[in-house]
Amino acid sequence: MKLEAKREQLLKPLQHVIGAVERRQTLPILTNVLVSARERELILTTTDLEVELSVRVELQVDTPGETTLPARKLHDILRALPDDATVTLSVESDKATVRCGRSRFTLVTLPAGDFPTLEDLPFEGDIRLPQGVLRTLIERAHFAMAQQDVRYYLNGLLLEVGPGVLRLVATDGHRLAFQELRAEVDAAEIRQVIVPRKGVLELLRLLGDSEAEAAIRIGANHIRLMLGDVCLTSKLIEGKFPDYQRVIPREGDRVVIADRLVLRGALARAGIVLSDKTQGVRLQLEDWILRAQAQNSEQEEAEEEVEINYSGGPLEVGFNVTYLLDALGALGGELAKLSFSDSTSSCLIEEADGGGGKHVVMPMRL
Amino acid sequence: MSIRRLPSQLVSQIAAGEVVERPSAVVKELMENSLDAGATHIVVEVEQGGVRLIRVRDDGGGIAPDQLALALARHATSKIASFEDLQRVTSLGFRGEALPSIASVSRLTLTSRIAGQDSGWRIGGDGGDAFGEPVPAPHPIGATVEVRELFFNVPARRKFLRGERTEFGHIEEGVRRLALSRFAVGFHLWHNQRAVLRLEPAHDREASARRLAELCGREFGAASVWIDRGEAGLRLTGWLGLPAVSRAQADLQYFFVNGRPVRDRIVAHAVRQSYRDILYRERQPAVVLYLDIDPDRVDVNAHPAKHEVRFRDSSFVHEFIRRAVQGALTEIRPGAAPQPIVQAGERLRPTGGPDGGPVPAERWEIRRPGLPLRVGEQMAVYGRMHSSSAPEPAPVAPPPVADAERPPLGYALGQLHGCYVLAENTDGLVVVDMHAAHERILYERLKRLQADGTVKTQVLLAPVTLAVSSRERQLVEEHGALFAQFGLDVAVLGPETLAVRQVPALLADTDIAGMVRDMLADLAVHETSDRPESANQALLASLACHGAIRANRPLNLLEMNALLRDMERTDRGSQCNHGRPTWVQLTLGELDRLFRRGR
Repeated sequence: MKLEAKREQLLKPLQHVIGAVERRQTLPILTNVLVSARERELILTTTDLEVELSVRVELQVDTPGETTLPARKLHDILRALPDDATVTLSVESDKATVRCGRSRFTLVTLPAGDFPTLEDLPFEGDIRLPQGVLRTLIERAHFAMAQQDVRYYLNGLLLEVGPGVLRLVATDGHRLAFQELRAEVDAAEIRQVIVPRKGVLELLRLLGDSEAEAAIRIGANHIRLMLGDVCLTSKLIEGKFPDYQRVIPREGDRVVIADRLVLRGALARAGIVLSDKTQGVRLQLEDWILRAQAQNSEQEEAEEEVEINYSGGPLEVGFNVTYLLDALGALGGELAKLSFSDSTSSCLIEEADGGGGKHVVMPMRL
Repeated sequence: MSIRRLPSQLVSQIAAGEVVERPSAVVKELMENSLDAGATHIVVEVEQGGVRLIRVRDDGGGIAPDQLALALARHATSKIASFEDLQRVTSLGFRGEALPSIASVSRLTLTSRIAGQDSGWRIGGDGGDAFGEPVPAPHPIGATVEVRELFFNVPARRKFLRGERTEFGHIEEGVRRLALSRFAVGFHLWHNQRAVLRLEPAHDREASARRLAELCGREFGAASVWIDRGEAGLRLTGWLGLPAVSRAQADLQYFFVNGRPVRDRIVAHAVRQSYRDILYRERQPAVVLYLDIDPDRVDVNAHPAKHEVRFRDSSFVHEFIRRAVQGALTEIRPGAAPQPIVQAGERLRPTGGPDGGPVPAERWEIRRPGLPLRVGEQMAVYGRMHSSSAPEPAPVAPPPVADAERPPLGYALGQLHGCYVLAENTDGLVVVDMHAAHERILYERLKRLQADGTVKTQVLLAPVTLAVSSRERQLVEEHGALFAQFGLDVAVLGPETLAVRQVPALLADTDIAGMVRDMLADLAVHETSDRPESANQALLASLACHGAIRANRPLNLLEMNALLRDMERTDRGSQCNHGRPTWVQLTLGELDRLFRRGR
């Protein structure tokens, strides 16, 4: 195998796929990137057995071939080379040589045949939407995913596809984020899949803000996202996601309308005195006034007052301040709507005009 | 086959199967008889691991000649007479089974003389249930039981005996146990004509300390603290080994209930719980503990060999022991507790207080009526021996040393390799592992802060449901208050389904279902559980570890001295969160020895 390319032609695609390479690995070949050189294109593939990333580059190849190279080292070498430099990569027996000007690196290869690639899987119809839209949807839901929960099905993002609709749901058992998009989805019935956390985070890294198209393909055990030349394939989490419809409350009888950023700022300041995540903030509602109180175990206190549109009578309820901040941060629009029913029930947070999805936060007893 | 009545010889042999399991059981039963007879000196001679000969001689009350035959008859005893006596047994034995059982499987002779008689009498048998007439035999006041050729007529049992050394090991362990229960009684143990143990009656502190060191090892003697706590008719006394003498196995845990050696899982579990905070993972504490309890409240008639007892209110006893031991461990302060590195002899020498009177022999005398618990004042003598055990002195008070101005851990000299703090105190040099010490200080502070408030809880979005057995569901119903106390809202959804609706906020991200299951398992066995607390402590410990100063952080003298003072004030300050010591003392004497000074 032999090829010659500009540094950028190799570095950029490699940066797209390097995320799947775990720093600590027990299986040596997983630290490598699969390099497949064909007549006019080069395909780079990495995997951690859960998520596979691959990227296609158009390139003139001198001698086609296939091998695997240490991904991080190749990446670091390319990054350290001067801009606009011309790099040649050649592989002979089990050694690969990278040459650039007066630099020469020899790297050990592993046989391409050992690299675990996903078979070409049967996928059903594509869902197409602009990358920017998908990105916003994921950004507004993914933070509520659980992390290393024993209920493994919570460690991911639920993707629900139905006729003309796409929904994303994440929950860690204490709060829930729900996003919905009317889209041209060619699906006869509702289908639910759970994308693992790592796949979601890698996808966020790859998605741009542009109008460029993202295509989603769902298979029996895998999901594939195609973003131009980059392709992410992730295993799906098997399991039954909780019935999210049941935990999203109907709008409560005590509805607060507040300036989203003012409320968010006040809660963020009140949270400063809280030294760990278990210490909640106490919200006291009175007509036209929301008071946020925080106190830590050393008896230090913070108190904030926010003007709100509310006339439902006094109510006091405690929350994990991080959950409130996450939810408010995931909304758009100027005004936020918070609906309460009592001090032991959940709070529903939405944009005042109804867009931006729904966020449910369970109270704390302080 | 038709049903028929078994010959009494066979009945005895069946009973022997329960009581006389192996030679050590014979020794234990005979020694207990001696103690119940008020002996002050017991000599045990054993040959070939007890298979060939076991001879137990005592200077107790003895048996009258006309009662010798009765002593060997089944269900004959002098120890209890009525059902009321059985309800509140204060002697070690009471079943009237040991001697006939032993006699049925060995060649046994019993020789005894009581006061007022001018000669002793002997009776013997050959494994049958017929014994000859008593014949006169020379004997001092007391009794001797000689057991030869144990199991000679039960070949199956004999086949199952282990090697001589193993069997003797069991015998020796049994003697040690009893010797720990009666300090005022002398014990001699001989094996194949060689003296193995010679324990003289210990009537004063030094002798008691010597016996403890002999039985549990010098290390234990040096690195243990005396505990003496009482409450609501219960009293717990004994020695608690510092973490430095913890063991890989639970082989140095002696429990005595009213002077009776027992293996009780309630007590053992309570002790392990109390030590959890200062012991490294699976290490087992070393303890010698005496629980005094009104005989009414404990049932010793639970097991033929009487290893086990049943408490009428076991969760109360569990809680009492846990609090007592935890309290005593918490109060250990630098300068108060003997540090492991010090030689046993040096520390045990009386340092202050009025000259200790002898520890009275009646300490372990069996208290028959009621429980006036008059142990207290005598044990105060011990208290002064290990000055830490006295609960009164303010925790910060410096120990009674010549230079009263100097704090126990002294003043910092400097830092070693960015890792250790060196300090000078009255005894010599103190070396402090600064990360470990700071970690414990932060940990205790976090615990204290948390204890001040109520449990903060997080309501769950969807309840965590778990399938349980109906027995486990009942446990939830019985112990609802316990779950609530830890901030868990566990509801019964169906006969075999539970739902957790609310969890402690700090543990919100942990495996709740797993924890509830563990709690149910604990409740089934121990009637109590503190899993949430231990999970909570583990989390606080890791917070403390992350917050503590790391190696290579330079400290100036002011900071180092502040650290030393914090350590003196902090509960359990002498061990880090993982049970390793936070500081060690190198005494001047030890330093002198390093340089061969004064030789």
